Amino acid sequence: MTALSEKPTAVSRRRRWKSKDAQEARMAWALISPTALIVFGLVLFPAFFSIWISFRDVTLGNLNDVFNAPFVGWDNYRAVFNDFAFKWQGWGSWGAAVTSVVYTFTATILTLVTGLIASLVLNRPFRGRGMARAIFLFPYVAPIVSVAFVWRWLLDPRPSGVLNDVLMGMGIIDLPQAFLSTRGVALVLVIIFEAWRYFPFAMLMILARLQAIDKTMYEAAKVDGANTLQQFWNVTLPELRYVLGAIFLLRLMWTFNKFDDIFLLTGGGFGTNVLPVLTYQFSFKQFNFGRGAATAMILLAILLAFMVFYVGVVMRNIDEE
Amino acid sequence: MQNTQENKNFLDHMASRFSLQGFIFAITLTFFLVSILFPFYWMVSSSFKTRAEIGGREPVYIPGEFRLEAYQELLDPSNPSFQNFGVNIWNTIKVAVPTAVIAVILAVLGSYAIARLKFKGKNFMVNAILVVYLFPGILLIIPLFSMLARIGDTIGFDVQDNLGVLVFTYLAQTLPVALYMLTNYFRTIPDEIEQAALIDGCSRLEVIWRITLPLAVPALVSVAIYTLMIAWNEFLYAFVFLNSHELFTMPIKINTIWNDPSPRPHVVMAASTIMTVPIMVLFLSLEKYLAEGLSAGGVKG
Repeated sequence: MTALSEKPTAVSRRRRWKSKDAQEARMAWALISPTALIVFGLVLFPAFFSIWISFRDVTLGNLNDVFNAPFVGWDNYRAVFNDFAFKWQGWGSWGAAVTSVVYTFTATILTLVTGLIASLVLNRPFRGRGMARAIFLFPYVAPIVSVAFVWRWLLDPRPSGVLNDVLMGMGIIDLPQAFLSTRGVALVLVIIFEAWRYFPFAMLMILARLQAIDKTMYEAAKVDGANTLQQFWNVTLPELRYVLGAIFLLRLMWTFNKFDDIFLLTGGGFGTNVLPVLTYQFSFKQFNFGRGAATAMILLAILLAFMVFYVGVVMRNIDEE
Repeated sequence: MQNTQENKNFLDHMASRFSLQGFIFAITLTFFLVSILFPFYWMVSSSFKTRAEIGGREPVYIPGEFRLEAYQELLDPSNPSFQNFGVNIWNTIKVAVPTAVIAVILAVLGSYAIARLKFKGKNFMVNAILVVYLFPGILLIIPLFSMLARIGDTIGFDVQDNLGVLVFTYLAQTLPVALYMLTNYFRTIPDEIEQAALIDGCSRLEVIWRITLPLAVPALVSVAIYTLMIAWNEFLYAFVFLNSHELFTMPIKINTIWNDPSPRPHVVMAASTIMTVPIMVLFLSLEKYLAEGLSAGGVKG
């Protein structure tokens, strides 16, 4: 033993290194385990548990004994697909599945375009730009409950609602309208709300990319006689391709999953019922947790299918170009 | 002569073009500023109006004078329709501050391990934690609710009306972002300083405490503020998990006041102002540090 410690051989040195590595790994596990426990216990396990619940009959009565809930096969899924709130029944009543997809795509694209315009405005030097940038972040940072109710108050059906007053003043409408309780109008307003609230996220990411574009490319384009529009089309936009693709995916995912906004603005009524709100209604209004879980799984399946398609096909095509 | 003429035309042309661009720019900027600021102005100004001004035949764009009617209803116990909003403010603080503090502590430990230490299963762990971003809150709330109800039954706590349970669910929502942001920050701190301290005989925990943390203060502050904001604003979980008015956080209480049979938008706007102003002040005073975190997903959703 003493001989070994006095004259370290290759083997013992490796062993010591190894034990140091092992020590480090133990340390790492100790440091990360509280986080891992919370995230696995409260997110990943429930996510899998949700699959299980979606095949069981779980109501308020057996919620405390959920692990023994009776197995019902695909019944919950069948019930959701046949539910009038879910399925497409023609143009008068879209159902939550179609509404969700339409709402998510339109809102995401509108958010992206608004964010792009905002970032182009802020990319131009002017006095008070820092201030303007801070103000542009307001809608995204403010609590959702506050901004949703301010919008409802602006769109109030009474004559003291601002939009009613403005439109009546301009002679566009004669009588006050209940905008958020009108099929069609409500969906459009909810989409505009989404763009208003979430464009700052797109703006910040685009702005960061814009400021990294090599200025000499614009000079070269100018020498070639390109006007501002052509410069934007041929220099700026190609440079932004990746960041736009990434924002599109993130925003699409988050919008598709979003519950608060529509629930607070319309409660899911008047042609704005989307899958997260429907999940809530099944679970906590009808207390049919199995059906709620099935709805959530359908939501996740649609989302996953789209992501696989997007990452596999769209992103790859961009790569090959 | 010809030459100057041409020059002049050119200049005119440039001037007109530039002013057109400037014009479009000014219009766009004004449009953005107005459509962003007006709702916020409307929130604050409505909160100072009387019930008569709120329910009149047309909107009152500038309140006649600062009336505290709405705030009295929220906070003054002698008001006939007293809402006891002070309790709701306190509940929100009781949920948001512990969430932020615990999230920062746990995320520091975890992200240090990810950024600095080698261990098996690290990539799996990091990816598994980030996958959380994919799961909608609405999908998790059903299994969480039934799971916690079952566990609560066994150990003996209530799932409903328990602010502690709420803190736990918020931690699950905020830890992944906190971990991600802090890991990225720790990676920017040069490893050499830490190695030197280790060679000098400091233990890992001493290194974290004496060297890494002091260098990471800006990141710690921004992670704390993000988690605070998420917990402060959270609606869905609080809405499902809380039943008793005494335990409502501000967002749930505001929703309740709005849905009251007698509509009182000025009271809702006053409560919203109380909830929004601290967050906005906090954010604006630290905007320089925080803006970057926003695009890293600091505010999910």
